[in-house]
Amino acid sequence: MSATGSSNPEYVNSRVRARRAALFDEEDYRKLVRMGTGEIARYMEETEYETEINALGARHSGVDLIEYALNRNLAKHFHDLLSWADGRLYTQIATYLRKFDAWNAKTAIRGVYSGASSEDIQTDYIRAGEFSGNLLDQLAAAGSVGEIVELLEGTIFEEGLDEAYAEFEEQDVLVPLENAIDKTFYEHLLDGIDENTVDRNSPQGLYLEVLQAEIDFTNIRNALRLSRTGTDLDPDEYFIEGGKLFERGELPGLVGNFEQLVERIRESTYGEDLEEALAKLEDADSLIQFEQALDAALLEYSDALSYTYPVSICSAISYVLAKEREVENIRAIARGREVGLSVEEIEEELVVT
Amino acid sequence: MLETLPEVANIVLQEGTEAAAEPGIRDAGAGAIAVGLAALGTGYAQRGIGAAAVGAVAEDSDNFVSGLIFTAIPETLIIIAFVSLFLVL
Repeated sequence: MSATGSSNPEYVNSRVRARRAALFDEEDYRKLVRMGTGEIARYMEETEYETEINALGARHSGVDLIEYALNRNLAKHFHDLLSWADGRLYTQIATYLRKFDAWNAKTAIRGVYSGASSEDIQTDYIRAGEFSGNLLDQLAAAGSVGEIVELLEGTIFEEGLDEAYAEFEEQDVLVPLENAIDKTFYEHLLDGIDENTVDRNSPQGLYLEVLQAEIDFTNIRNALRLSRTGTDLDPDEYFIEGGKLFERGELPGLVGNFEQLVERIRESTYGEDLEEALAKLEDADSLIQFEQALDAALLEYSDALSYTYPVSICSAISYVLAKEREVENIRAIARGREVGLSVEEIEEELVVT
Repeated sequence: MLETLPEVANIVLQEGTEAAAEPGIRDAGAGAIAVGLAALGTGYAQRGIGAAAVGAVAEDSDNFVSGLIFTAIPETLIIIAFVSLFLVL
């Protein structure tokens, strides 16, 4: 509820675990991939998502209804998470949930750039972060990307955004702006934690461990994408500091050589967790499959950590990741059904652990 | 807490006073302290379990019975301390 007082991981842990258990499982997904969008919405109405589907059902229908209900439900759950937590736990969860501030900022930038109406942008927001409703409204109503950059001044994202904006004006692509936002988010995650002194078995240390894994995985993903597409973009520009797998300045050498990069990942501490994913990558040559395996591995890794040390933030993070994954899965199913993909094709898109 | 320890020890042993022959805390007093410490231990254990149990019950009220049982388990600590009180006296 507030950042003061001592943290209450026991309480948060047991509530989060109950909700984690209530998420859709393989069985549910198997049913969902065989349904049409209307049926999916009806199915969701009988679960967790009842309130949202009912609230939005009058205004939207089909895939839109599902999508907005998912976003709203996600925001509700994460808001709950914050209202349970106290003390340092609250601060850590709040920092982690800034992920959605980054998402919202990017949504606003993309929306304004593509000329979407302020209402459309508003429905795409996930109101789970730190930004106030007021700021979000202003962002959605902004007339130009420049205005958004101005509005973001004073938040954590201001750093690096000006530079990115200059680049945006020059080339008229959104990538630099989005990258700047993502980078700021990840680099702020590790604020206030000293990597060298923290005890690996303390809650603080485990928090660091999960976050480093996430940063490393993001770096792996970016590196592999760049390596696969063979562009001459500078990988250092996409590099996020704070992970333990790569050092700054190391990537440009690795990205040029795909085999060497894969070998490097295989030999790292994540080698075992990513074994399956790497095998798939080499067989199928498909980056999508690998990225899904990467997501699944991160999910399993955070789960494992939450079992080793339940009285820490790990279970909360593993829940946040799992919930996000569920929302993405359902969205993939709904979108897939809408455009008429086959059951097998949709199943390939799902990340189920 | 730690700074006051010498004084506490003084009282317990009644050193340097005229009543040196008579310790300030006898069997009954020592037993009472033991029970009190056991109660502190129980309370500390129940703090965590209770918080978790309330969380679980809030999510699903079916958990009420098992939550209650688990919360009561540390009570054994104080019961055993209580038994030893009778053994000492």
